[in-house]
Amino acid sequence: MAPTLLSRIATYAVAALLVGFIGFPLFWMVISSLKPASELFVYPPSLLPSRISFEWYQSLWAESDALTLFKNSLIIGLSTTVICLAIGTSAAYALTRFDFPGKGLFMLGALLSYVFPAVVLFVSVFMIVNAIGLTGTLFGVILCHCILTFPFALWMLKSFFESIPRELDEAAWVDGASYLLTFTHIFLPLALPGIFSVAVFVFVLSWNEFLFASVLLTSGSMKTIPVGIAEFITSFDVRWGQIMAIGTLATLPVVVMFLFVQRFFLRGVISGAIKG
Amino acid sequence: MTIQQDHDARVVLLPTSRSIARPLIAWWEENSERRIGLSFIAPAILFLVLFVVFPVFEVFRLSMYVIDFTTDEERFVGIANYLRIFQDPRMGVIAWNTAIWTVFSLIGQFALGLAAALCINQNLPGMKVIRTILLLPYVVPVIVLALFWRWLLDGSFGVVSAMLQSVAVLPPNQSPLAMPDGAMVSVILANIWRGFPFVMISYWAALQAIPQEQYEAAAVDGASTWQQFRYVTLPHLTEVSKVMLILRFIWTITFFDIIWLISRGGPGSATEHWPIWIYQEAMGYFRFGTAAALGVILAGVMILVSAALITAFRRKDAR
Repeated sequence: MAPTLLSRIATYAVAALLVGFIGFPLFWMVISSLKPASELFVYPPSLLPSRISFEWYQSLWAESDALTLFKNSLIIGLSTTVICLAIGTSAAYALTRFDFPGKGLFMLGALLSYVFPAVVLFVSVFMIVNAIGLTGTLFGVILCHCILTFPFALWMLKSFFESIPRELDEAAWVDGASYLLTFTHIFLPLALPGIFSVAVFVFVLSWNEFLFASVLLTSGSMKTIPVGIAEFITSFDVRWGQIMAIGTLATLPVVVMFLFVQRFFLRGVISGAIKG
Repeated sequence: MTIQQDHDARVVLLPTSRSIARPLIAWWEENSERRIGLSFIAPAILFLVLFVVFPVFEVFRLSMYVIDFTTDEERFVGIANYLRIFQDPRMGVIAWNTAIWTVFSLIGQFALGLAAALCINQNLPGMKVIRTILLLPYVVPVIVLALFWRWLLDGSFGVVSAMLQSVAVLPPNQSPLAMPDGAMVSVILANIWRGFPFVMISYWAALQAIPQEQYEAAAVDGASTWQQFRYVTLPHLTEVSKVMLILRFIWTITFFDIIWLISRGGPGSATEHWPIWIYQEAMGYFRFGTAAALGVILAGVMILVSAALITAFRRKDAR
């Protein structure tokens, strides 16, 4: 279907509106974080700053514990990713390569838990984490983030693994390789790009998670980025410049990571890996 | 688990109890595939049972108890927690807010998602960049969304508030977040911002799967652009729409973060919805039993509406 001139214009017009709706708030956050104080609080606001200023970033560095927040989020994010992917990869491998009793039931359970929302289980998960004494520890949050991300990771991994031909594994078995050897030497290298992009998504989910991190981590030195920033806005003195600066810093890593795996993400969407 | 280890197991077992061991060994070797499969998946089963299945049962159980958080004492109260919820004067308002929040978020997400998918599906220069920009809300942390939303809508220095004030939609120095209806519109718009890329990308995947020949055939038959959309494009989108409607419904009615971080349910209780109520009962008043009961009710509504949607889709298909 060759697009007519009219349909081209209509397409770009709609796209421009959508890009404005999505892009402007992000653009405004970055611009605000780079405006000097004298220009940030003027009425009506100016679109572009007369000069770029890093004063908010400097004061953020000097006055807040932003670095601790980033460190905690990084530890929690990486641990969640490693645990979640270790359990998820082997489970998805079993689901796509072996037959065993209860496979159908397991798939149903995994699908239901993917759909089941966190806020319904919020109370019981909180009580369980509390009962095993993990309140106020990073590991408690890591556990909760694994609960939130595992069904999603499993589902995506399974779809990626289905696209890797089973014959390769079977050829290795026939040649006398053990199951474990086949898994580590034949299968994993092929599956690595898919595993990597799922890992990025698990990390992003953990990096962005607010609810469990906020109720489990109340001590200052343990807080994650979302929990730490949330306190910035509830405090009496609202420092918009610093807030926009830390918002930009918190968003930058996940956007960069997303750009890296976008191609795999889109391929996954096309093949039905990301349901919905 | 390697094949080598299996041989060792036989060597150890054989001399001790030959008659019982033999059928066992036979089963062990015949079912090697099942065994290996199970050993690969065992950690996942353990994890799901302990931390997903068990919490589901736990939330049911807790909903019938009163829990003293300081002493961990539990007292069985039957359906008292549920009765208390239905007698709470706030229930009507919160249920209404939840419905408004869910319905309008979904309408916005689906409308914008479909429009965006139709745009990025066109083979035009610049569409890849536009697609990337439109996908960004997928990864932007909700807390950051809440921050810049509040900054845009700040009564004194917010750029969106300033625009609304200049056309007299808002009184001077007023933020939409300070007005009951304005706050609800604001949080719903934020949720549309966040949720529509998911709808867009799913629709886009469905559009990519439509064979080009169908459009060509329709064009040969003299179908207009609108007719091509109506009779070729839309039918290919019904299946994905059904799945997405159910998923988005469940994830919207239970989405806590946006409202909590933008308006905290205020002003007054203008934007309090069901998940906020759960949070307040649990973390505000430490009434975990009531919070669990609220969770069970929410899950019930979620399951009922999903079942109703599935039945409606089936009936329509049968016709």
